[in-house]
Amino acid sequence: MLLERIVSALGDLVAAAESVADEWIYVHDLETVWAARLRAIGSERTEHPPDEVAAAIDALVQEAHRITDPHRAIDWLSTLPQATLVAIAEDAW
Amino acid sequence: MRFQDAAKDARAMVYAGIQADPLVARVAGLLADANAAQRVLARAVMNGESSDPTAWRVMFPTLFGVGAPPIEHPDRVRSEAILAAALEVAGRGDQVRSQFRGAIVEALTAHLLARRVPPGSIHTERRILFDGVAAEIHPYDVTVETNGAAEAYDCKWGARGISADVLHQLDDARQHAADEGERVLPVLVVFDARRSCEVRLARHTAPRAGTRLVSIESLDRIAGRRAEAAS
Repeated sequence: MLLERIVSALGDLVAAAESVADEWIYVHDLETVWAARLRAIGSERTEHPPDEVAAAIDALVQEAHRITDPHRAIDWLSTLPQATLVAIAEDAW
Repeated sequence: MRFQDAAKDARAMVYAGIQADPLVARVAGLLADANAAQRVLARAVMNGESSDPTAWRVMFPTLFGVGAPPIEHPDRVRSEAILAAALEVAGRGDQVRSQFRGAIVEALTAHLLARRVPPGSIHTERRILFDGVAAEIHPYDVTVETNGAAEAYDCKWGARGISADVLHQLDDARQHAADEGERVLPVLVVFDARRSCEVRLARHTAPRAGTRLVSIESLDRIAGRRAEAAS
């Protein structure tokens, strides 16, 4: 469930990034592959996360919501999943 | 085949000022010694909006949380230094930070190369000239100029920077060198995850079979070291 919040934030970033018409396909492809990676990890993690991990996810979602520039949103579409995986002590790739 | 300094046009002169900024060298030096998680931290901060270091420490508990190395440990000291330096880059503003990030990846590449090849063989902003072939408009970011085994690097902050032009230019160097009986290894360095690079590359038809991709998780291969996990 925790990582679904990140997947949802990725959707918000896609909405912000979609106005860059030339990158429409790339933006959606990024969302597809990273959401799949996060969901695969999430399905393996059924235990309650430590407080500091939950706080990290909160903070990462907040940071994603601060991104309004479409070009920055494209950068963050790739960065948010990597930062999330580092936060939960998973291989970031 | 021969190497030549790129012409110093107005854009190059402005960019040279960015490349010479001490902050670029400081960040590159820190990232050269960083682990993969610290490199992700740097990428996030330099891509992010928050200027509050406390917020970033919360986002990266494996580097700053209860299970992280103690505050005097060299890894923790480096994490703090990377956070401070990355915030300094982010604080330069949107336009400038974009130029800084590109210059940082180039400087990091040169820094890592210096651990594997003689520093005197490493050059930046160079063209590679071949007999009977029009010179490329854009110089290569970094080159290793050694007899019989040259390397040409194009450095990108993110996977989005990968374009058909970049792929063609790198492959052209390899192909034209081969035509002259020389060898140039083209390398695309991207300060982004390989997964994102593969997404970007999937829809390109430009030749890339002869080009080596180095992504954020495998940067140490530039220095001749194996990649490590980032967690």
